[in-house]
Amino acid sequence: MFVLPPPPRYPTQAAYNAAVAAGHVAPMIETNNILSTPEDQFLVGEGTYVLKEDLLLATPPPHPSEAPVINPNPLATNPQPATVGTKVSLLSLESRRPPPAFYRLAATAALPGSIAEHPNEWRLSNDAKLSSDGEGRGTSVSDVGGPNSATAVSAPAFGDGNALLAPERFKDPNKRRKPKNNMTKSNSSFISRVIINEAFSKKMADRSNDGVFAFANINRAFQWLDFSSPTKADYLTKILFTKAHCLSHDVNLITKSLSHLDIIMGFSTGEIIWWEAMSQRYTRLNKNGVINKTPVSQIRWIPGAENLFLAAHMDGSLVVYDKEKEDAIFNPEEEETQPNGESTPPNIKPSDKISILKSVHSKNQKTNPVAIWKLSNQRINAFNFSPDNRHLAVVSEDGTMRIIDYLKEELLGLYNAYYGGFTCVCWSPDGKYVLTGGQDDLISIWYPQETTLIARCQGHQSWVTSVAFDPWRCDEKNYRFGSVGEDCRLCLWDFNSSHRQRGSVSSRVPTLHRAETQGTSPGRIRSGSTISVIDGDEEKISINYPVEPRSNVAILPPVLTKIADKDPLSWITFTEQSIMTSCKTGHIRTWSRPSDSLTQTNSETNTPDVM
Amino acid sequence: MASFLNKWKPGSASLNASAKDGSKKKEEPPPEMTPLEKMLQNAGAIRPDGSDKFFGMENALFYTTAFREQVLNFPPLSPPDTPNGSRPRVNVQIRAPNTNGNAQVDANGKKNPNEKKPPTAGIPQPGQPVKPEDKPDTPEYKKKQAMLKGPILELAQESTTAYGMEECTFTGLRDIFMALVESNTRTGVLSPQRFLEIFKRDNEMFRNSMHQDAHEFYGLVLNDVIANVESTAQRLLKFEAERSVDGMTDSLRTALSAVAKTRANGTNSPGTGWVHDIFEGLLTSETRCLTCETASQRDETFLDLSIDLEEHTSVTSCLQKFSAEEMLCERNKFHCDHCGGLQEAEKRMKVKRLPKVLALHLKRFKYTEDYSRLQKLFHRVVYPYQLRMFNTTPDAEDPDRLYELYAVVIHIGGNAYHGHYVSVIKTEDRGWLLFDDEMVEPVDKHYVRNFFGDKPGMACAYVLFYQETTFEKVRAEQEAEGLEEVRIVSEKADVAQGNEHANGNTNGLSRQVTAPNRPADSQDALPSLDHAATVPNLTRSPSNRIPVPPTPVDVPPVPSLLRSNTVKSLKETKREAKAQEKAQEKARKQAEKEEWKNKRKQREESISLIREARKTEEAELKKALEESKKMAAEDKEKQNEEHDSVPALNRANRGSKSMSRKSFGFLRGKRDSMETSDSSWNGSQNGESASHASPTTQTKPPEKSEPFRLRKSFSFGIGRKKSTKFP
Repeated sequence: MFVLPPPPRYPTQAAYNAAVAAGHVAPMIETNNILSTPEDQFLVGEGTYVLKEDLLLATPPPHPSEAPVINPNPLATNPQPATVGTKVSLLSLESRRPPPAFYRLAATAALPGSIAEHPNEWRLSNDAKLSSDGEGRGTSVSDVGGPNSATAVSAPAFGDGNALLAPERFKDPNKRRKPKNNMTKSNSSFISRVIINEAFSKKMADRSNDGVFAFANINRAFQWLDFSSPTKADYLTKILFTKAHCLSHDVNLITKSLSHLDIIMGFSTGEIIWWEAMSQRYTRLNKNGVINKTPVSQIRWIPGAENLFLAAHMDGSLVVYDKEKEDAIFNPEEEETQPNGESTPPNIKPSDKISILKSVHSKNQKTNPVAIWKLSNQRINAFNFSPDNRHLAVVSEDGTMRIIDYLKEELLGLYNAYYGGFTCVCWSPDGKYVLTGGQDDLISIWYPQETTLIARCQGHQSWVTSVAFDPWRCDEKNYRFGSVGEDCRLCLWDFNSSHRQRGSVSSRVPTLHRAETQGTSPGRIRSGSTISVIDGDEEKISINYPVEPRSNVAILPPVLTKIADKDPLSWITFTEQSIMTSCKTGHIRTWSRPSDSLTQTNSETNTPDVM
Repeated sequence: MASFLNKWKPGSASLNASAKDGSKKKEEPPPEMTPLEKMLQNAGAIRPDGSDKFFGMENALFYTTAFREQVLNFPPLSPPDTPNGSRPRVNVQIRAPNTNGNAQVDANGKKNPNEKKPPTAGIPQPGQPVKPEDKPDTPEYKKKQAMLKGPILELAQESTTAYGMEECTFTGLRDIFMALVESNTRTGVLSPQRFLEIFKRDNEMFRNSMHQDAHEFYGLVLNDVIANVESTAQRLLKFEAERSVDGMTDSLRTALSAVAKTRANGTNSPGTGWVHDIFEGLLTSETRCLTCETASQRDETFLDLSIDLEEHTSVTSCLQKFSAEEMLCERNKFHCDHCGGLQEAEKRMKVKRLPKVLALHLKRFKYTEDYSRLQKLFHRVVYPYQLRMFNTTPDAEDPDRLYELYAVVIHIGGNAYHGHYVSVIKTEDRGWLLFDDEMVEPVDKHYVRNFFGDKPGMACAYVLFYQETTFEKVRAEQEAEGLEEVRIVSEKADVAQGNEHANGNTNGLSRQVTAPNRPADSQDALPSLDHAATVPNLTRSPSNRIPVPPTPVDVPPVPSLLRSNTVKSLKETKREAKAQEKAQEKARKQAEKEEWKNKRKQREESISLIREARKTEEAELKKALEESKKMAAEDKEKQNEEHDSVPALNRANRGSKSMSRKSFGFLRGKRDSMETSDSSWNGSQNGESASHASPTTQTKPPEKSEPFRLRKSFSFGIGRKKSTKFP
């Protein structure tokens, strides 16, 4: 008779120690940032991009009091805190020349819309100042803002018509309200340590105004760097949190000034910090998860707003907070008493509508939250405001992309991934197209005006983590965008709207659905100016667009794929001089644009090396 | 080839050895509820189809619903003497739960050095090293508990005669399934001893104590099952043909029709339709001779796809690589019939028919010439919960078929020659479960993503099972699991906030609660079989933090949706009541008021709770501050010495090619593969062009002039593009 050998043991502590030694597990020592200049480059049609530098942001070790219980059992079922890779925001205090593509926004009027005149004229002016960059998640390049950028987009401000939400005016914009608590002297258990550069004030005095600040979150650390400084590896300020991981952050472009920088950060605990960088003061919001306990996957200031920002929680709700309001426990039944507030029908099909747990028009606006919209029960991975400040594209783990008119709190369309979840989303600079990247390794180009899928972009070898348009290489017809993924690759893509005329890139909506959706295509909703009409129709109409079979959708190959780092990439953005990428382990790489982009190289466009 | 320990069927080793000293010790504390039992507490009646059995047995096949049903229903008719309809009972011995889990002896009779021997059961002596199985939260502990709890189903004898079949792998497997289905408990341990014996008898390779490969095992089992079923079917068919036609029973007719069906398909041998229906797909390899440009095609069936891996890729892209063009040159030239002789050629494989169950074998074991041995690849390969295949032939039926991940076989270990297998399986309505030898544990959906290969612990997904599904099903499921998700996520947030103890120290607490409630009979030599079913309704243990679906008591704090709904329905009922009876209304109003009061109270309470929390937080601040200050000082010192905290993963040579680029399952060569004629290729091309025609004929919306114009231009030229889609 055969007797099997005993069950093998799990890898032992010794094995774990070996793994630490081999670098598979994060060590326990905190380190400094390292700037290096490895050599690398890639060639595209317009020329050669050269790797300028690689800035390694130190990933902090776990907090001493929070040292993880080392469990050698790989099957341990302890839940792990949510983490993301390094996310960076770039910010320049001086307004710069906007990317050339930008003027088109006014001309082409991205999505046709009836612009209701609204009383708060002064907010309009804020809108005009607003830069509608922000392609790619965790990214906000602000050098396109400023009064001279003629973005004559005049979307009504969010929360317009609710007098309770009108912010107080400040006579002097330089005297903005600061958060309550001093961060350096804080003894909050949430914040472990704040390290301010010794030469902080000297550095601030020396720097030129058009220099670029960078803000980055790496696990439990948050760093503020000056990219225009000669010693850019030295952070201006580094905040270490005790256990919460910062998953997303955003800088307010309306309130930024030499003396004031409003930054919000969302954490894996669901908590939110409003931090004013210049005075090092902060306020905690959603403290201890009073309003929502689930991690904040993405957080952004609402375009044009000084105080309001939107946070995507992982339970599928979008919550609008006011940075200056106190938290209050949110009770949906209060909503019931609001004649104005929309109540949620109990048996609502989650896919067809967003349920407004609290409307922005609610009369109760003394405390946070300002508004709560529940999209589904699935985790929201990212969202992005459209350049015309009217729409919101939200992508979720269940593979849905929702286009929401967030001013009217209304769902306009629901699009589905080929398979797997969506991970990132961004709008084209003219607001016509939406890109989504997902776990099907594809980037989808959507055309919400006609509710169509233009093409699927195939070139990544793993999940896509971030997409962004390159506004400097976009014009009326041609679009350039870049993407990065878990495959460590950077891909660049070109498509043009004339593709559609030539028929090489084709798209269609199945006949059946076309007929159904005629009434609600977003363009029509807004041209039909009155909302009531739509409300009547909404019951019958499905705005849930099914998955297109592969044979119906064009496949777009990349113009370039390049292994841009050793570790999975998590973020991409375009600046005037460069492409920037970051990876999970904290490398921020800057790829300089071709030195003379006017001289076209004769060499052919790089073909994707593997397909 | 590869050989690792196939600790596939759990428990057998330890059972054999420890059976002798069966019921000596009785001082074992009553076992506490496992998370699984907690989950099953309010489950309804035991189902007849076996879909609610969670035995310590990692067997993805059992949870492949279609496969399970077919195995149970085959052969359709037992020999004539058996009354039709009633299944023969399996000969199951139910062994006393093993009260001494320590005595594990390995094949050579040697004591396992890793195992601490002294059988002091129960509370470990102070000063003595804690045995792994006595530490709560270790897998050893949990497995021991599982063995203690039982029931342990032992299949030592076959009931083959009842099936009218020779004793074979299939009957062994069927016995296991039958035993599970017929068992009147939901949990327990099953020892597939007899199955292994049969299997070893038939497969020489496994007749040793070496560690075996799970994928190989899977293939052999399926093949054996096919062979067994086939022969039986043919025998039955002959047998029936000899008998008069009117003797045919319904069930037999279905069996025969199944046979007929497979014949019509023309794909494979008769009689085994159902195995093939479930697992078999068809691959087409097209080889184009570069000399004469003649393309030849060959169809091959497959039961699974073995795909090469590369660092930082997804299963999707690995599948694409599988179908990428391959040059046949140098030593690997192609014999072209047309030119006559070895020529350089291009070859590519595409899927012509998609299987219902898609088994993907990730080739994590690679032969390296340097060491002249197999190496395990720790590449990070991500796998999505859903999948569609890009590499289908243009004429494939339903090329957009949606698959969902439902089982992952995980290999734990540093190399190819030993290790441990566990599996994570999505059950039909109990979510994901981890099957590790005797232990079965519910896990959350995100747990499935822990085995991409880059996490410490050397646990990697090795075989992925995807099953056919529909978009609507997936959506419905996602909506249903949403609430669960919310709960888990908020739980995680709790953990991150430090409100919770780590997983490890929950046990002591819950034991305090559960112990008094447990009947003592579990210590008896022969316990009642109905552990799970009759477990007293325990209130939740205070520290229950292991993912368990929400029980009424355990309402997550988050979903505010629910609350609003209940309020609403209350209002509605109120309105109804008004119309009917006033007295009732009063009572109800009262109740409602009470409700509101309670709600307000709750709210107030929670506010005060928060206040209190803030207070305690403040109290903790000072402590934390001091600590962090201390640490800061320390850190500063260390900072000077250390640099580079983030080393890159330096796992086995990335990007290197595998020894054999493609394997199409073990069936290759054994199973019949056949040449398709040119005419079928033509036909397929016709099919392709037909499918292209459809977009052009599409109707356009009559209104909206501008989009209309655009749309018109959209609608063709795909065909051309398509041919270049998968270069």
